[in-house]
Amino acid sequence: MRLNLILYFVLIFFAIATVNSEHQYRNNYSRLDIEYKATSELRDEKTKLEVEESDKSGNQRIQTIASEKLKMYVPNKKQVKVIK
Amino acid sequence: MINTRKKQTEFFELSKIRRRLVLIIILSLFFSLFSRAIYLQAMQKDFLQKEAEDRSDRKVLLHAYRGKIIDRNNNVFAVSTPIQEVTVNPSIFVASVKEKIKLVRLLSISRKDLERKIQKNKKKVYLNRQLSPEKAAQIMALKIPGIISNKKYKRFYPAKEVAAHLVGFTGIDGYGLEGIELYSNKLLAGDSGYKKILKTRSGRIVDDLQDIKIPRDGQDIQLSIDKRLQYTAYRALEKAVEKYAAISGSAILLDAKTGEILAMTNYPSYNPNSKGKPIDFRRNRVVTDTFEPGSTIKPISVSAALENKSIKPNNIIDTSAGYYKVGRSHVKDTRNYGKISVTEVIQKSSNIGAIIIGEKVESKYLWNILNNFGIGQKTGVSFPGEVGGKLRHYKNWRKTDHESATFGYGMSTSLIQLAHSYTVFANQGSIKEVSILKTKGPTLGRRVISRKTSDEMLSMLESVVKEGTAKHAKVNGYRVAGKTGTSKKLGADGKYESNYIGSFVGIAPVSSPKFVIAVMIDGPSIDSYYGGTVAGPVFSTLMAEALKIYSIPQDGLIESDELKREAKPDSII
Repeated sequence: MRLNLILYFVLIFFAIATVNSEHQYRNNYSRLDIEYKATSELRDEKTKLEVEESDKSGNQRIQTIASEKLKMYVPNKKQVKVIK
Repeated sequence: MINTRKKQTEFFELSKIRRRLVLIIILSLFFSLFSRAIYLQAMQKDFLQKEAEDRSDRKVLLHAYRGKIIDRNNNVFAVSTPIQEVTVNPSIFVASVKEKIKLVRLLSISRKDLERKIQKNKKKVYLNRQLSPEKAAQIMALKIPGIISNKKYKRFYPAKEVAAHLVGFTGIDGYGLEGIELYSNKLLAGDSGYKKILKTRSGRIVDDLQDIKIPRDGQDIQLSIDKRLQYTAYRALEKAVEKYAAISGSAILLDAKTGEILAMTNYPSYNPNSKGKPIDFRRNRVVTDTFEPGSTIKPISVSAALENKSIKPNNIIDTSAGYYKVGRSHVKDTRNYGKISVTEVIQKSSNIGAIIIGEKVESKYLWNILNNFGIGQKTGVSFPGEVGGKLRHYKNWRKTDHESATFGYGMSTSLIQLAHSYTVFANQGSIKEVSILKTKGPTLGRRVISRKTSDEMLSMLESVVKEGTAKHAKVNGYRVAGKTGTSKKLGADGKYESNYIGSFVGIAPVSSPKFVIAVMIDGPSIDSYYGGTVAGPVFSTLMAEALKIYSIPQDGLIESDELKREAKPDSII
C-alpha cells in the first residue's frame, strides 16, 4: 500500500516534469525561430548595406566624380618631381 | 473485526435510486458522444473534409545562405540579396477594382496581364518573381485573398563586367555555372535544412511540428584579387582592344612573392547580372585558351643555355646570314642584326640568335627546362576549365621541333602559364605556385634555375624595356624587365595566317621584383600588331597602378653597373 502510494507520487511528479519539459521545449523552439528570423533580417540588412557600399565605392563612380566634379587628373611627366 | 467488515460493505452499497441515477448519467454521456459523432459524420462531413484537405503536414525547406565571394580587401564580388516572389491562387483571389489598380502598379505589370493570370485554372501563378521586399510588403498590406509572397535570394554581382570571367554566375536554381561560382559551388552553397509544419491551402502556417534540421550556411570565399587592379586591368584592356580593333584581350597580374593572382581579366566581357549572357564571351581566356607564345619563350630557352654554361651573356652570336632554315621554311629576323651579344638577342628578339643559342643545348635539357618552367602544364589554380597547353616530349622531337621550341613555336601555352613561368626570373630562379585564393604571406618556391642565371636573364629582360622592343612598357620612376611576343595564328587548315597575337610579359621593380604581368592581345588589325606596341601600354598602365597602390619605392634612378658590363661583348661564337 505504502509502495503504491510512493509510486503514485513518483508518477505524478514525472507527469508534471514531462509536461514542463514539453512546455520548455515549445518556448525554446519559439525563441529559436524568432532568433532565426532576426538573424535573417539582420543579414539581409547587412547585405543591402554592403551592396550599397560597393556601389558607392565603385571605381567608375570615383573616377567620374574625381575628374568631373573635383577636376582631378593624373600629373604628366613634367609635373612629377622626384625628391632624392 | 467481523463488525468492521460488515460496516464497510454497508457503506459502499448504493441505494437503488442512486444506481439508476449513475446509469442514466453514463447512458446520457454515451448518447451525447454518439449524437456528436453522427452530427460530425453526417451533417458536417463536407466542411470537415475540406478542412482536412486544406491543412497538411509539409516539410518546409530552410534556406542555407550562399556564401559571398569577396576580394582580398573584403570588397564584394558576389552576394545573395533578398527578393520576393509574388504568386496568386486564382481560385480564391478576390479584389476590388481599386485594389487591382494598386496591385498592377506595385507589380509593374499591365492590368491586362493581371486579368489573364487570374483567369488561369491553376493553384499557383507567378505575378512577379523578382520583386523588392519593400514593394512586396506594400502588396501584402493590401490583404488580398490568394496573394502570397515568398522570400527568395538572387545572386548580385556589383563588379559587373570587370570580374565576370573570374566570379562567373549561378543559374536560376542557385547552382554555380561558371567561374568561382562553379568551382567552389559546394563550399558556397552550404547545406539546406528543413522543418515540419502544418499549413493551410492559402499558405498560412497553422502549427510548427518541431521536426527540424538546422541549415548550414555556405562559406565566404576570399579571393586574392584586388578589385582596384582588376578594374584598372579591364579598362586598360578595353582601351587597347578598341584602339587596335582586336578580337579580344586578356591580362593577368601576379604577386611575384606569393604567387597570388591580383588581377585576371578579359575583354570583351559580359554583365553577369543580366539575363542574356553571350556564350562566346563567357570563357576566362586567361586559363582556358592556349596560343603559341612566340618570342616570350626566348628568355626560357636562352636561360637553358646559360644554365648549361653553353654561353655567357656577353658572347657574340652571328646572325648576319639574315635567315635560318627550319625544315622547309625560312626563319627571319625583322632586319639583319649582324653580330650581336646574347643580351642583344633577347633585347632585339632575334629568332636566328635564339635558334643558334638553342642548338647548343640538347633536346632533353631544353625540354626539361621548359617543363620545369611549367610550359604545357596546368598551373593547378582553383579555376574550372584550365587547359594544360601542349609541349611534346623531347623523344618525339625532330630537329625542326627543337629549333622551333627555342623561339616559342610548336608548343602552346595559356596566359596564366606564361605569367607563372616568369615568376622564376622574379624570384631568383624559383617558381611560385599560383593561387586565386588569398594566402597568408610569401610562399616557398621550387628551384628551376640557379640564382646567377636568373639574375643574368633579369638584366637582359630589363634591356628589352630600356632599349629593345618594349619601350612602350616603361613605367616612369621604376626599372622594368620584360619580353615581347608576336606570334602568327594557325588557321583552320593548320597553316599560319596573317593574324597575330601580340603579347608582353613583364616584371617590376627589377631591384626587388614585386609583380609579374602578362598581357595578350588577340588579332590586332589596325596600326600595329607587335606585342611591344599593342600589349606593352596595357602592361605599363597596370604596372604603374599596382606599384602606386602598393606603395612600392621607386628604383628607376638606380643605375646598374652589371648591365654596363654585360653590354660589352668579349667573344665571338
